[in-house]
Amino acid sequence: MVGSGGAGLRAAIESCDLGVSTMLISNGMAERSGATIMAGADITLDGAGAASIGLPGNEQDSEEKFSHDILVQGYYLNNQKLVEAYVRDAPARTKEMIDWGMKYSWDGERAIGTSGPELSRVLTAQVKRRQITIKSDFYVTDILTDGKSAVGVVGIDINSGAIGVIRSKAVVIATGGWQRAYSFTSAPGGLTGMMHAAAYRAGVDLVNMEMVTFCPNVIMWPPALRGDIFPYILSGMFGDLLDKHGRPFLRDEYDPLVYRIAITTEWNKLIFSMAATRVVLRGDGSPKGGTYYSIKNVPLNIIEEAQKTLPGWKWLRTDFSDFVEWLKAGNAVEVGPAVHYMEGGIAVNEYAETTVRGLYAAGECSGGLFGANRVASAITQILVQGAIAGKSAAARSKKTTMGEVRAGQLRGIESRLTRPFSQRNGPSAIELKKKIRTIADSNLWVIRSGAGLKRAVGELESVLSSDIPRISIGTQTKAYNKEWIDTIEVESMAQVLLASARSALFRRESRGVHNRSDFPETDNHRWLREILVKQVNGKMSLSTRPITVTKLKPPLVRFGFDDGIIRAVKELGE
Amino acid sequence: MEKMIRVTVERFDPAIDTSTHFQTYEVPLVPRMTVMDALDYIYENLDPSLAYHSHTSCHRRICARCNVRANGRAGLSCHTEVTEDTTISPLPKHKIVRDLVVQGV
Repeated sequence: MVGSGGAGLRAAIESCDLGVSTMLISNGMAERSGATIMAGADITLDGAGAASIGLPGNEQDSEEKFSHDILVQGYYLNNQKLVEAYVRDAPARTKEMIDWGMKYSWDGERAIGTSGPELSRVLTAQVKRRQITIKSDFYVTDILTDGKSAVGVVGIDINSGAIGVIRSKAVVIATGGWQRAYSFTSAPGGLTGMMHAAAYRAGVDLVNMEMVTFCPNVIMWPPALRGDIFPYILSGMFGDLLDKHGRPFLRDEYDPLVYRIAITTEWNKLIFSMAATRVVLRGDGSPKGGTYYSIKNVPLNIIEEAQKTLPGWKWLRTDFSDFVEWLKAGNAVEVGPAVHYMEGGIAVNEYAETTVRGLYAAGECSGGLFGANRVASAITQILVQGAIAGKSAAARSKKTTMGEVRAGQLRGIESRLTRPFSQRNGPSAIELKKKIRTIADSNLWVIRSGAGLKRAVGELESVLSSDIPRISIGTQTKAYNKEWIDTIEVESMAQVLLASARSALFRRESRGVHNRSDFPETDNHRWLREILVKQVNGKMSLSTRPITVTKLKPPLVRFGFDDGIIRAVKELGE
Repeated sequence: MEKMIRVTVERFDPAIDTSTHFQTYEVPLVPRMTVMDALDYIYENLDPSLAYHSHTSCHRRICARCNVRANGRAGLSCHTEVTEDTTISPLPKHKIVRDLVVQGV
């Protein structure tokens, strides 16, 4: 299991419980790294499923209704087999977390509330109770194959600098997204797309790589709070998003229905991000390129009432009481959309299998479940898919023998990893990271254009072919060598960004979180297709396949962004 | 002209050094910058050999892996603001991996 967030932890538990020798590898430490600890967080499940495990869910709800809503929210790009697995297993995965002692609250309708640190605590405690080997601060960079199947992984022990090989009968990737390829994100370090790039080099299909969700209303300043989503949490309760003239643009400029959906549902991520980006693009943004969040017009007793849900204005591990006082005094905080969640990733089927045998993917690093827009919980995703991947990996491990490592592949990997130490006068990974982040921030943001995407593709191809092979590392000591870490990260980031940019350029329409200024309509006649990216003979190759439909046929329609929201809301019966 | 501060870092490479030594860098003071910002500035602009934990840092006070001592006081480098000349040392009583990175934290 590569990755110690929720998906990796849950996969390790499943695999171990099926009697298979299991190792959990983290580029950081369990409970101390990955995206799960940062989550809000809720677990979503259908009302009847919730009722079946003793929660006060609505028994009139059903798996079918929940699936339908996930598909509408995903603009029908979702792989329906993955959606079926998600809703089917959600109650069992939730029940087990409760039985393992997770603290939670019933949030009503289809969600229970908990927190990222709590989820990680419970899952890590379960892992530690079992015979699971935990390897920390080991950055896996590559997947070893015998030509057909995965036979192990290669990585760097960050503290010693030693390159290590771990042979295995199955490999589960559970490493989250590639948010850190951008400069403004709500995600922690380590989410670099390293394993997306490794899987790509191993011949795996990536899917929906153009789909990137932004969390709106994220703090841009001061530095100690930069990237924090606390104003986003507040904006679900009250407050206004203002342009530089102090105008509440969402309320003023949008259909009342769109406005209501934006402030009362988790569609807020998409709607706020789009509206704020439109304001910035027309020149009405803040000095730092964002907009303003204000609670000036909210009566004080309403603000105080909200403290019941956020006692002491504490959010996760941060005390925001000074910040709230500052807002109450009439100030507005500069906020903007930050890269938050990746719908796209490693293509998997409902058994978490990738297109390479013995290689599985679970959680955010996988693609297809949420189609073009995620509204339902990614925590449910990591629990459900983690358990499925652990089960599939265990089944394979029981019926197969340990595969042979190809010496040539291993030599090639070691040479690629160590070559920058002997190169001189090449570019530094530090400057290249800045360069590719600028490319991503400028061209792969909330609203994309054909011209910008073409530029991004050209620039990323040039970085990959001309700059990265020449990187030189001055620091020769291998122990916690940041230049080396940046070098391996920048290569995977550039590779994954290129896959994302090429997919975004290829999709000549707008759908969900992917919005093209030159193709503003969603076109169900032509684009109910997933875009796949694969390495063929050393070259990046794109193809499409029709969406995977089991029960629900999408309507054959075309619509623009605002109409799409209204249409979807009516279809959801809100 | 921006104000510069002196940031002194206690450094140690177990492969070469027998004891720790202090190295001082001139860093531009940005309003409300953090210890992590100062270390990032040194690493990116002055000395790429500097080691401090950041590859999986959460910047949200949750992971607690960026713990260091600033002017003798232990705290998270992503959350501790820098306003004046500052000396940054690794957490005490831990084996040093290199510079500010220690084992088990």
